[in-house]
Amino acid sequence: MLSLVLILIASLFFTGIIIRTKSISSGRKGPGIFQPVKDVWRLFKKGSVYSETTSFVFQIAPVVYFSSVVMAILVVPFGSTKGIISFDGDFIFFAYVLALGKFFSIISAMDTGSSFEGMGASREALYSMFAEPAFFILMGSFALLTGHTSFFEIFSTLHLGSYITYALGIMATFVLVMIAMIENSRMPIDDPKTHLELTMVHEVMILDNSGFDLGLILSTGYLKFAMYGTLIANLYIGELSLIYAIPAFFFIQIAFAVSVGIIESFMARYRISHNPQFIFALSSVSLLIFLGVLLVLGKFV
Amino acid sequence: MIGFTTLENSGFLFNIYIGILLAGLIGIFVVSEKLKPYLSALVVLLVSLITSLIAIQGINSNGLEFLIPGGSFIGDIPFRIDALSAWFMLIINLTMITGVFYGIGYLRAYKPIKSIITLHWILLVLFQSSMLWVCMVQNSIAFLIAWEIMSLSSLFLVLFDHADSKVIKAGINYMVQMHLSVVFLTVAFIWVYFETGTFDFKGIDIYFGSNANLWLFVVFFLGFGLKAGFMGLHSWLPHAHPAAPSHVSGIMSGVIVKMGIYGIFRVITFLKADFILLGEIVLTFSVLTGLFGIMNAAVQSDFKKMLAYCTIENIGIIGIGIGVGLIGLGKDQNVLIFLGFGGALLHVLNHSLFKSLLFYSAGSVYQQTHTRDMNQLGGLIKKMPQTALLFLIGALAIGGIPPFNGFISEFLIYSGLLAGIHSVDIAQTTLMVVSVAGMSIIGGISVFAFTKTFGTIFLGSARTELHQEPREVSKIMLFPQYLIVLVMLSVAFFSGYFLNVILTILNGSFHVSMEVGNVDYLRYSSVLQHISLYSFLFLAGIGLIYFIRKSITKNRESTYQSTWGCGYVAPTSRMQYTGKSFTKPLSKLFNFVLIEKKNFNELKSNEIFPVSRKYSSSYLDFWEHWLINPATKYLDLFIDLFKFIQNGRIQAYVLYGIIFILIVFIGTVFHSSLQ
Repeated sequence: MLSLVLILIASLFFTGIIIRTKSISSGRKGPGIFQPVKDVWRLFKKGSVYSETTSFVFQIAPVVYFSSVVMAILVVPFGSTKGIISFDGDFIFFAYVLALGKFFSIISAMDTGSSFEGMGASREALYSMFAEPAFFILMGSFALLTGHTSFFEIFSTLHLGSYITYALGIMATFVLVMIAMIENSRMPIDDPKTHLELTMVHEVMILDNSGFDLGLILSTGYLKFAMYGTLIANLYIGELSLIYAIPAFFFIQIAFAVSVGIIESFMARYRISHNPQFIFALSSVSLLIFLGVLLVLGKFV
Repeated sequence: MIGFTTLENSGFLFNIYIGILLAGLIGIFVVSEKLKPYLSALVVLLVSLITSLIAIQGINSNGLEFLIPGGSFIGDIPFRIDALSAWFMLIINLTMITGVFYGIGYLRAYKPIKSIITLHWILLVLFQSSMLWVCMVQNSIAFLIAWEIMSLSSLFLVLFDHADSKVIKAGINYMVQMHLSVVFLTVAFIWVYFETGTFDFKGIDIYFGSNANLWLFVVFFLGFGLKAGFMGLHSWLPHAHPAAPSHVSGIMSGVIVKMGIYGIFRVITFLKADFILLGEIVLTFSVLTGLFGIMNAAVQSDFKKMLAYCTIENIGIIGIGIGVGLIGLGKDQNVLIFLGFGGALLHVLNHSLFKSLLFYSAGSVYQQTHTRDMNQLGGLIKKMPQTALLFLIGALAIGGIPPFNGFISEFLIYSGLLAGIHSVDIAQTTLMVVSVAGMSIIGGISVFAFTKTFGTIFLGSARTELHQEPREVSKIMLFPQYLIVLVMLSVAFFSGYFLNVILTILNGSFHVSMEVGNVDYLRYSSVLQHISLYSFLFLAGIGLIYFIRKSITKNRESTYQSTWGCGYVAPTSRMQYTGKSFTKPLSKLFNFVLIEKKNFNELKSNEIFPVSRKYSSSYLDFWEHWLINPATKYLDLFIDLFKFIQNGRIQAYVLYGIIFILIVFIGTVFHSSLQ
């Protein structure tokens, strides 16, 4: 329950901080950090324009996408408090529920019959597919390290004690940050601010969405960012008592948002053809974590 | 083998079954053409009913046994129905019932000559029985006969559209490969016979008790794997499935490949040693099979071929479960056996459900459009909304996405892999983690493949003008599909019941003793219950949010306009992204496995006035291209050397006869004089 509330709060300002960081680093004042939420609120109040080509898939997809992320958030724990849903192997449920949302957002893009949206859908499907093994190897390694298979038990028993585990923690953070960037279609995988359809990935998929549906999709994006931020925070807060854990949580979320802003300000997007290679390289970082875990457990004889 | 009970009752049921079968076969032959489909459906229904009763008795009584006299050569044929056989028999019956009803509607569109349609229905009934026999008989010779009837009847079912040379070619390919499988099985059975002197399956048990287990299992695995379609042994699947009429491909993909899995399971019940090595082999092989299958499925543009490759992927997933279970047997860890074998068995059921659903709905599309090339289609969701919905449900379920049944079995297998991570041996730990990663990629590409297929066939707008406006198919074709969806949902939401049955199978047929009150069993069954509950809540949540959205946007102004075309004012439906372009990035990345063949004439530099030209591209099967085709080519060359023997001259053939008689004669003389 706690994690749900915290994620909801974090999602209110997360994207705002990214935008603010980008404005400041490019020498502008920028909008307030609640501007994205205000945008969504405005969209909720608007009417919609639908494409004549679309079917019921297009109507239901934003709802499914939103619900899938909410469902995934329910699984995420906060330090030593469980998520609302917690059982052995819940991270598999987490990944596959997210896959349902992805499935629907892809077919809703294809529902418009636009070549641009088909292109975006193809890219999104490809990238998220490549990100999967990195996540699963990471979680598998943690399962091996802690002896548990649910998010809550893994994170609450994860101790960063020796030098190797610090290295593991840093690498795990890197992997999770990158997965978050891929799943949220940010730099260096995708440029949310590009204005050319041909170079978009996620943005082009939602070109035909408007009004309430667009608001739903945008707010899903904010929630998703905060969700991944919470996963990262969970790596560190572990057994901290709530008095320290909650400030630490917000600190990590803000630091994550600021670093996303900085990455986006000073980095260019990768060439589209290089993206899969980059994402696949994440799996090798995950494999390194796995090897590290084997080292920690003394399995190398 | 212990615990088999003979029930008079089931022998009686068996006699009724044989009676119905014979009466049905004659009846279908005799009645008028209009009644044939309905009579066949009735026979299939009755046969299913009675054999399912036998199967349920088999599960409840933990093994039935009765002998059927098989003449002087084979002797008495033992029919043993334990929970494992029963499980597969029930799956066969369910798929056959949906298949035969769908078939009635599907074949209406065809008005071929009468003899073919009679043969088709007779074969369908025979096909069901032969598969049931395969699950029941436990005598090598009788098993091979049943196996052969199964292969041949399915072959002639595939050859329904016999005027098409491609169908004939696919049929011959299927026939040859099935007989290769028979060769391996015959070798294995003869091997057992020479070591133990019995054709009864108990001989295999005795053999494994006293000899090395590895090689005999490998021979069996090759034989059964050819049927199941493991990688390298799979190449009949992508040819036979598109060639067959859709209800037959649904049944074939749903159950006939599962007969290979049944065989492998049956052999495993007799295994005594070498579990870990075999488990590692099967696991590695299966992960590769899954990856290979789904990658190829993603790039195919023939949607039935795509489904055929997807079958290979699912065989891979089942194989992963089998591998985990084998390692569990070796380590004596009941959890691994339960999760591995249990997940595999449940996935056998699940796959038979959603794959037949997908083949049926794809068949409906084919029936209405007469093309299997998805790049010619588009926008069918408006013309055939129910078919589209059914295909969508199948696609979600096969990707293992909650709230459908595919997730339940995949979750069990994932849990098995995660439980196996804690094994002491570093080799197995690594193997398990790599397999988890492999399964996640399989899941990812599966989403990729099915969004592409669904999106290209059903969404957007029509890419080409069809000869005839497609319409929603008849009720008799839709009804079996809804039935399948119902069963699928029951697996997803009442998984506890199915898990219970699986526990009976594991206790009855494998060397496991796991009570219902076992800690691990309780743990995982409660997890599955949670998943079912959360899946239900998830659906309810989607419904709720949709309702909110609907009530908020009700009074809002909404307008309909054409899709955003980047300012271009003359878009055509040919400009849509096709399935081919959707998968191009994937095929480019994996071009070492996915071999693309392009046919086109390149534009020459001196060609000032280029004329219109054609371009086509297709994907070749890696194993077929690099292994099977070269091998058959060289085999052809080698066999050509002996062409002079078959020279068409009768004199020469008479000479061969004389030489043969002489050899027999001289041989006999020498043989007796030596003694």
